[in-house]
Parts: sequence; structure tokens; C-alpha cells
Amino acid sequence: MDTDRLMNWIGRFSIHLVVLILGLCCLIPLLLILSASFTDEIALTRSGYSLIPSQFSTSAYEMIFRSPQAIVRAYAVSIFTTVVGTIIAVFIMSMLGYALSRPTFVLRKPLSLFVFFTMLFNGGLVPYYILMTQYLRVQDTIFALMLPYFVVVYYVLILRTYFAALPGELIDAARVDGAGEFRIFLTIALPLAKPALATIALFTALNYWNDWTTALYFIRDPQLYPLQYLLYIIQSNAQAMQLQSGVGVNLGEVPTQTTRMAMAVLATGPAALFFLFFQRYLVRGVTLGAFK
Amino acid sequence: MAKGFSRRDFLKGMGIAAAAGGVSLTGLTRLAKASPSRFQDLPRLVYIYPGAPQPDVQRVQDALSEYMAERIGATIELRALDWGVYNDQIGLINASAEVYDLAFTAPWINNYYNNVNQEYLVPLQDLLPSLAPSYWASMTPATWEAARVAGGIYGGINQQIFVKPFGPYIRTDILEAVGLGDEFANLTSYEDLEPLMAAIKEYVDQDDTLTHVTYNLSPLNVAENWGFDPQDALLVVRSTDENAQVLIYPQTDEFRQASELIRRWYQAGYAPQDVAQWGEMDAAWTAGQYAVRVSDIVKPGGNAETEARWGWAVASKAIAEPLLTTGSVTATLNGISSTSANPELAVRYLELVNTDPVFFNTLCKGLEGVHWEWADQDQLLVRPANGAASFGDTGYNPNTDWMFGNVFNSYYTDPTQVGAWPQTAELNRNARPSPVLGFTFDRTPVETEIASISAVRTEFGDPLGSGVVDVDEGLARLNQALLDAGIERVRDEMQRQIDAWKSA
Repeated sequence: MDTDRLMNWIGRFSIHLVVLILGLCCLIPLLLILSASFTDEIALTRSGYSLIPSQFSTSAYEMIFRSPQAIVRAYAVSIFTTVVGTIIAVFIMSMLGYALSRPTFVLRKPLSLFVFFTMLFNGGLVPYYILMTQYLRVQDTIFALMLPYFVVVYYVLILRTYFAALPGELIDAARVDGAGEFRIFLTIALPLAKPALATIALFTALNYWNDWTTALYFIRDPQLYPLQYLLYIIQSNAQAMQLQSGVGVNLGEVPTQTTRMAMAVLATGPAALFFLFFQRYLVRGVTLGAFK
Repeated sequence: MAKGFSRRDFLKGMGIAAAAGGVSLTGLTRLAKASPSRFQDLPRLVYIYPGAPQPDVQRVQDALSEYMAERIGATIELRALDWGVYNDQIGLINASAEVYDLAFTAPWINNYYNNVNQEYLVPLQDLLPSLAPSYWASMTPATWEAARVAGGIYGGINQQIFVKPFGPYIRTDILEAVGLGDEFANLTSYEDLEPLMAAIKEYVDQDDTLTHVTYNLSPLNVAENWGFDPQDALLVVRSTDENAQVLIYPQTDEFRQASELIRRWYQAGYAPQDVAQWGEMDAAWTAGQYAVRVSDIVKPGGNAETEARWGWAVASKAIAEPLLTTGSVTATLNGISSTSANPELAVRYLELVNTDPVFFNTLCKGLEGVHWEWADQDQLLVRPANGAASFGDTGYNPNTDWMFGNVFNSYYTDPTQVGAWPQTAELNRNARPSPVLGFTFDRTPVETEIASISAVRTEFGDPLGSGVVDVDEGLARLNQALLDAGIERVRDEMQRQIDAWKSA
């Protein structure tokens, strides 16, 4: 009995230890950034990064808040694309997934092939760019940031499987009661698929929130920079300037280390808090998907 | 039948409002761009270049357009792309054949040679002499030859400092404290720097704020310091060798002597024990942690520029011989896109921006009285307009004059800079052309070897450059690794190309 309890205890202890170490690995870099953003610039260079600021200073934040428009604007763009984009994307993907799941749908096979073909083969970056900028002409609009994620084939696949698992009798019954296809979809299928929709909505929202490559390709107007792209720009500008200081030309002001850290805190902080609140839904949504 | 405003109606209304909001948001940004212009019917040249967005760019663009319209019958659109994404974005623009007229190109950003190979740029050697005569005449034929690739000149060269007279920079307060000002002024080689370094080391040990004599800015990595014109992949040509024999840099006596010198400095504790990054180096300089930048470009006005950029007054002394090389001339070019509808107008724009100081300075510094004002017009010295503390606060300050055109036409922004341009131009004129000026190595036949050589350089070359390994041992290992990586094949290929280029 005692050895059993001991083994049990050791097992639990080692699992906790592993999880604890992994957790710290995630947490410490964030704390370092937070601490660095509150450190005096010169002190940071002298004594390096530490978990507790070696010399407390809020100058980096004062610097940013002297002209906070860029960040506020980027937040607005990110929130708008995330909210509006997710709603539209989930609606489109669920309609597509539902249609593909219906055995009575005539074009089911060709449409399935058309959709899933793009999962294996795609034209590559340059044709994508040409399509978006020269045919659809959406560059430098907020629409360009949302369009690419309206249909993610993998999510359509998940939704189709989910819809296909709904009892067919339900849908037949609805038809007998006189409901049209659209009504069946809206009032019967969609409410039943809530867990799947929640999961897909969450994934899609995260895609939108974390996306910066779309902005890199299609957005030139600083007014439309989403948050992640703004951060990327600030970091990569600083790097580009430092790399090129060897050519003997003056490349202008490089944002200081502390300012960059403060930007990172301001950009990720609220998003991280947001995530804490929604974490339980995420966990529930992911496991729900797994059982089906 | 007055019906109450139901919840459903409300939601419907909200939906429409939200949709309209989205549309008008995009509509507004479109509208803001297409501001009315008096010169709408004139062709508009689109100029793409790297730079941070400037709040007043529209005003400057309008002023430039008005000026241009009277002189060459075209207007301009300034399209700055952020530094960090310039390469990606201009790459997409070129690959998708998007229409534009001019773009900044160089071997180090928006790769000039790649652009020429892909035929993204228009050849200019026939257009420049007829459409941009003063610009064409402002530089020697040898200089223009440097931009020639595969028989054509595909970029307009911006005049700036073409030579790279590398040498040490030292903080004047420390130089005075150790009392070796004369010795520093009389330096002729890096070996002469040793007694100074030793004296400064003693000073550093007594001072709390200083941590080291110098940081990792190794004179070894800069082959110009030792009388070579550096080519690709650790290959060099001796600057005095008219036969242009290609040498493997680490096999030269100069490389060995330089490595030994750096090793001695390292063992004497002049530099940090761990290899520092470029960025850290600048930050540590600003923080006042070290006294000497061993190998930087020494140029007229360079001391003021260094002080303005990182703080601390400095003295400097050139050690490397001023040498005109392909790389230094092509460092700043403006190319004309092959998608341009008006390449002739774009060439005339190049003439204007490179020869008209008023136009050029408007592009570089903005409008007189709005962004800058004269501090002393006789000396061509300007200051931020309306009492602004710095040019950065005025609303237009790209601060990249060298990107737009001939910097010798640029107004001075600091009193200590005054007179630097004629001196720099003089330096350019008197520089000795490298025996391989105008030659550019075509990497394609030996790309694999070059990739491995670059890895070898990082693994075995950098430790020598910072002095952390024993010279004999480190050099033997570096040279063996280079041989294994196939450096001899690259050397032979380069020699073959140079010989063919010379006889052409």
C-alpha cells in the first residue's frame, strides 16, 4: 500500500514538475519583456535583462503615449477585422459545410473536389497577390484583411463532418413540416452545431488576431495596419536599420529597446487578458471537436 | 398603420449601419489618397522607396509635383514602404508586374543584380546622356561603369561618399584624459593604435562607467583596412594589383598579422569576452561603456554625425586607403521599372533630383518655412522650422538624403557639417579606382560553394575576428574548412570572370 502511494505521489509530482517547468518557460519571457519595458534605457544596456527592473522607469511608456494614435488605430483595425471577419467567415464556412454534408445536394461531389483540391494545391504567393490586387482590387482596404480567411478548407471539413453526423430524420421532419432548405439550415442545423461553430469561431478569431502576413502583402496605408503588423513593422524596421548601419549611411532613428518592449506589452497585454477569460471556452471547444 | 419600432427592426438597422460603416471606412481611405490636383492630366511618376511614413508627405508631394510640372511636365507620387518590409513588398510588386516608375535599389536592399537578371529595370546607358546630360556629366565614366551589369547601366547612381576610408573613432573626453591627442592624430596603421589602447585600458580600469576599451568592431572583417578590394565569399583583390589576381583573404600575410593583432588586444582584455551584436554595440556606446570604435567609416562631417546619432564627442582617423570599388558606388541607386509607361520622363526626373538643389532638398527635408528654415543661407545651413526642437518633430523628415539623389546638393543641418560636401566630393575624385572597379561577380555557377563558405566564415572566421581563438590553430582550421567548402573553385571561377571582363 505504502509503495503504491509513494509511486502515485512520485508520478503526480513529476507530472506537476514538468508542467511547472513548461509553464515557467512560457511565463518568464513575458515577464522579462514586462520588466525590460519598465527599465531605464541606459541601465538596460549596462546590466542586461532581469526579472526585476534594475532601475525603474516609465519613460518608454511616456514616449509611446505622447502619440498613441498608431496603437489605438491598430487596435481598432484588429478588433474590427476579428469581430466582423469571424462572423462572416463562420457563416460562410457553415453554409458551405452544411451544403457539402447533405446527401441530396446534386453538386456535392464536384463542389467537394473543388474545395478540397485547394488544400493540396495552390497557386503560390505571386498569383495570390495578382488576384487580390489586380482582379479583386482589394489592396489597401480593410476587406483585404478579412477575405483570405473567409473559407479555411480544414475548418469546412470539420463542420461538414459535424453536420453529417446530425440525424437525417430531424431534417426530413423539418421538411415535412414545410421548412425550406435555408430555414432548415438556420433553425435546425445551426443551433445543433453550436459546439462546432464555437470552436471554429475561436480558431478563426485567433487567425484574424494573429495575422500579419496579409497586411504585409496588401496594406500600404498606415491607417489600416492591424496590431500584429504594427508590431512586426516596428521590430523589423529596427533590425533593418541596424543591419544596414554597415553601409555607411544614416538610416534615421531606431526605436530604443525599452520602447520596443513597451510596445510589445501594450499590444499583447490586453490580448493575453482576453485569452484568460475565454480560455475555458477554448478548452471545452477543442475537446468537443475531439469526441465527434 | 403606425407600427412600433420592433427589436427586429432595430437589429436590421444596426446590421445595415455596421455594413455601411465598413464600406465607408474603406471608402474614406480611398478618398483621402485621391486628393484633387491641378495637374491631373499630366503623367504621374510613382516613386517607391523604403522609409517610415511621414505625416506631411502629401504636402511635400504636392509641392514637388507643382515644381516638376513646370519643368518636365510630370507629377510625382511618393510611396514610402516601411524599412523592414521593403524587400518583401517591392519583391511582390516586381513579380506581379505592378505598374510603377522608379524605385530605390542596391545590392543590399531590393537587390539590384537580381532586378537586372529578372528584367525588372530599364537600361539607362542610352537615355541618360541625352535626357539627363548634367547628371551624366556629374560623375566620371569610371564611376558609371561600376553600375554596369551585363552590358547595361540599370540604375541612376546617387552621389555620396564612394570611398570607405575605415579607421578608428575615439571619444575625445577620454583621449584628452589620457593625453594622447597627437599620437592619435598621427596614426598610420592599426598597430600604432596599440600604445593608445594600453593607456586607455589603464584609464578604463579606474573609471566606473567604462567597462571596456572597445567592443566587437573588428578591423579584420573589413578587408579595405589591409589594402584589399573585398569581393564575394572571402575573396579579395589587392588594391594595387593591376593584374587583378584573386586571392583567398585568410591565406594572405595581412590576414595573419591582423588576426595576431586582434588576438593580442583580446588577451589584453580590451574587448568583452563574449562576441557582441551590432545592435548591442551601439547601445553600449550610447550608454558610455567603451571608448574606441576600432573600424568605422571616417568621412568629412563624420564626427558630428556620430555624435548626433549616439552621443559623445569623437575624434577619428582614417587608416584604410580611399579606394573606389564597385560595391561602394552601387550602394545607392534609383532604378526605373520596366513596367513604367514613361521611362523618358523618369530619366528626366533623375536629372532634376540629382542636379536641382531646391527640388532635391524639398524631397529630403520638406518645405521651407514649414519643415525647415535657413539658419545661415550663405553657408547653406538649415534648422527645424518654427522653433521645433528637432527635424523629427516637424512632420516631414525621411532623413535619407542619400537615397533620393546627389547628397552633395543637400543643405547642412549641423554647423560642424558645413563644408563637408566639397571635401567628400574631393575625396571621391581623388580616390584610386580599384583594379576591378565595375566588375560584378556572377555567383550562379558556384552558389553552393558560396553558401558553405558563408557558413564556414561564421563558424571559423568570426572567432578569429574577435580574437577568442589562438591564431595558428584558428587560421589552420579556417583555411582547411574553406578548402573543403570549395573556395578554390570559387576563386578560379572569379578569376575567369575577371579575366573575361578585363579583356572585354
